[in-house]
Amino acid sequence: MCTVLIIRKWGYFLKSALTGMCRNGFMTLASLATVTCCLILFGVFMLFSVNINFIGRQIQSQCEIQAYIDIDADAAQEQAVVAAINSMDNLASATFVSKDDAIEEYREFLGVDASALDGLSGDDFLRSSVRIVLSDLHTMDEFVAQLSQIPNVAEVVNRRDIVERIISVTDVIRNGSFIAMLILIIVAIFIISNTIELSVHSREDEIHIMKYVGATDRFIRWPFVIEGMLTGLLGGAISLLLVAVGYDTAVSNMLSFLDIFELLRLGAVLPWLAAFTLVFGAVMGTLGSAFAITRHLKV
Amino acid sequence: MIEFRNVTVVYDNNVIGLDNVSFHIDKGEFVFLVGKTGAGKSSAIKLLTGEIKPYSGEVDIDGTIVSALKHRQVPYHRRRLGVVFQDYRLLQNKTVYENVAFAMEIVGAPKSEIRQRVPQILNLVGLSRKARVYPKKLSGGEQQRVCIARALVNSPTMVIADEPTGNLDPDTSKEIMGLLEEINSRGTTIVMVTHDEKIVNDMRKRVIRFESGMLVSDKEKGVYSLDN
Repeated sequence: MCTVLIIRKWGYFLKSALTGMCRNGFMTLASLATVTCCLILFGVFMLFSVNINFIGRQIQSQCEIQAYIDIDADAAQEQAVVAAINSMDNLASATFVSKDDAIEEYREFLGVDASALDGLSGDDFLRSSVRIVLSDLHTMDEFVAQLSQIPNVAEVVNRRDIVERIISVTDVIRNGSFIAMLILIIVAIFIISNTIELSVHSREDEIHIMKYVGATDRFIRWPFVIEGMLTGLLGGAISLLLVAVGYDTAVSNMLSFLDIFELLRLGAVLPWLAAFTLVFGAVMGTLGSAFAITRHLKV
Repeated sequence: MIEFRNVTVVYDNNVIGLDNVSFHIDKGEFVFLVGKTGAGKSSAIKLLTGEIKPYSGEVDIDGTIVSALKHRQVPYHRRRLGVVFQDYRLLQNKTVYENVAFAMEIVGAPKSEIRQRVPQILNLVGLSRKARVYPKKLSGGEQQRVCIARALVNSPTMVIADEPTGNLDPDTSKEIMGLLEEINSRGTTIVMVTHDEKIVNDMRKRVIRFESGMLVSDKEKGVYSLDN
């Protein structure tokens, strides 16, 4: 088929999809509202779970492991320990705390009583240490075991009990949000395809007439599918706008009194949120109408 | 040319739609199919449009075995028929002009041809002045004219009319029959299912009568009732 004919045909499909949306205003609105609501729910849920994960990581990073270096080790040996730790797997960060740093911190901790430390230097009674944050707390035991093997590491201190609790809580939240997301996706697919089915059903006459006049299945299907895709995209765009504005407002309000944790800023989540809602909206709309129309083509 | 050769139709619920029916309709004929509800008239029409397939036998239209067409070939077959319905089946959200043009858009006719052909057809059915009106504002007779215009616009070799006067008063029915007769006089075959005794008796065309799925009579210049 020559190009002009193809362009004319797709132009016609697009045109009838658009007129279909306008002329069946109520059903279009119903589908649009359903798609938008589902995607808003999704967006909110997605933002909630990425923030929970983000907070989980912050809590994890506060669970430091401290590796104390032998008090007799010289500077070169201390550096060797730091180098050995830096080469280990599963390391998020390692900060060397020298004896002098340690006594400074101790001073700050004592506050007004800091004068008790006057005349003392770190060399006298404090050990240098390395503060370690792991990227994954699950393998902390192995990490600690390896750590103890490094020469001149005198003692490894960690809060095993707290870590275990944090691991179990973040695991529950992570798995829970994954399952909830999955359920939400299934429910959304069901609702959206049903609404589109309803809108196709309300135009059964039109489809029948098209069949009787000799329209091919392809010819009937495409305008509906394009219509579904456009509805999905539009719903995605509306929900994206609402969720983004809502999130930005909510985060700025919450950050003012929530000073223990950081929350993700809109800028950091927007690309994901946009890709997610728009793609999901378009795919849902397309598949929903494709399924719905196929059931009505057998005349 | 329509030819039914020993056609039997059995529906899913084991009801027999047609029972070993054979008949032949020549090009340019005007034929009434009559009989009670469930006698087999609708089955015959559905076979012609390719909506159902026979259990046995063949339906042949101008050399095409309709009963053997694949699903994707059926649309192209339907473009050679025009179908007129009792309930008109117009798209309520399209104007008279658009309803007729729609049938041409569907078969991929170029715009220039549509713009030329649709007014011609509307003129033929006497609706030139109502081109921009929506079906809701039309009388039953006018709606049926639109339906006929739509059936004719792609120049089919035959028109299948399923009780086209079923919802119309006698005077309007007469007008519609006049229109169908005029179309027939231009060479288009017309197969019409009807319950309207008066129309059949007035027109004196060929009458094929069905009873319980069987063809019981086939008479030139026939009348509705068997007894006469």
